[in-house]
Amino acid sequence: MTEPVKQPIVPAAFSPEDMARRRRRSIALALVLGGLVVFFFIVTLVKTGPAILNRPL
Amino acid sequence: MSAAFDTQTDSATLTSTGEARDFFALLKPRVMSLVVITAMAGMATAPGSVHPVIAFAALLAIAVGAGASGCLNMWYDADIDQLMSRTAKRPIPAGRVLPSEALAFGLTLSVGSVIVLGLVANLLSAAMLAFTIFFYAVVYSMWLKRWTPQNIVIGGAAGAFPPMIGEAVVTGDLGIHSIVLFAIIFLWTPPHFWALALVKAADYGRAGIPMMPNAAGPAATRRQIVLYTLAMAPVAVLPALMGFGGLAYLIVSIATGLVMIALSIRVWRTTEGEAATKACYRLFGFSILYLFGLFAVLLVENGLGLMWALPKVIG
Repeated sequence: MTEPVKQPIVPAAFSPEDMARRRRRSIALALVLGGLVVFFFIVTLVKTGPAILNRPL
Repeated sequence: MSAAFDTQTDSATLTSTGEARDFFALLKPRVMSLVVITAMAGMATAPGSVHPVIAFAALLAIAVGAGASGCLNMWYDADIDQLMSRTAKRPIPAGRVLPSEALAFGLTLSVGSVIVLGLVANLLSAAMLAFTIFFYAVVYSMWLKRWTPQNIVIGGAAGAFPPMIGEAVVTGDLGIHSIVLFAIIFLWTPPHFWALALVKAADYGRAGIPMMPNAAGPAATRRQIVLYTLAMAPVAVLPALMGFGGLAYLIVSIATGLVMIALSIRVWRTTEGEAATKACYRLFGFSILYLFGLFAVLLVENGLGLMWALPKVIG
């Protein structure tokens, strides 16, 4: 028995234009999250300083 | 919150089609830019130094924290924002962002910015940022704004805290420098806001906000604008007298302070018709330039090491 394919729940009120706006919003959110990853990485390097290389091998 | 803004029953309205720029607008970017420049000045004038990356990270956290408090303010005030011409096009009253989305956005950024500032800088600056957000979103927006004509006088403290947070980032402590910068912004807020409130009195009246022109009348407001400006202008010169503002700051603060006094007197004396409106807008517009100018000069002088030796009167 095969599982029925689940369709994403999209309210009928969303027009293609609305969906395009939501897509742009999702892309902006992804860029912000990606930027945060880079931001935290750099801040961690600066906060830790040269000691970041001091770890047991 | 009015009923129109807190009930969402239709499944199609559980999420909005607001775009990134609508969410950015919730952060009050113009206020944020003022917060950034004043916090930077607080950092630059603090006795000490901080790694540029840490300074940038801290500024980002302070800016986002300030934006978050603006977002929570817009969430709470959506019911009155729709009644006023100046605010009716904001994302929530215009229907582009749902109140629940704005609340979640504001709370997430508030918590996130405080945690990040605590991790990259220190606990004092994080605690101060948390207090600033609380003061603006809860004490000012939820309590003072709809209750007393002194709303923006007391609430103005929220906008005046960023230089103190900036100094706390650098030194882990609070000093006299940032307290003076706090005083400048604190005394600047009433003439700045009331100049606009005089013009928008009908709007505030419709929304039931007891701004000074509505509660005490235009004449009393005009008088208080002059008094606050007269108190502010000398305080704005203090950084030069205390040695953390240079010669350029001394000249700019005296010259622009005199312009502020002249414009406030014009508001006081011009009470009728188009000329009165123009006088108010002139003061409102110049006051923004004034504060930006003062802090920009302070920032350049301290940040770029362009201090000229001046006799220190205090400190």
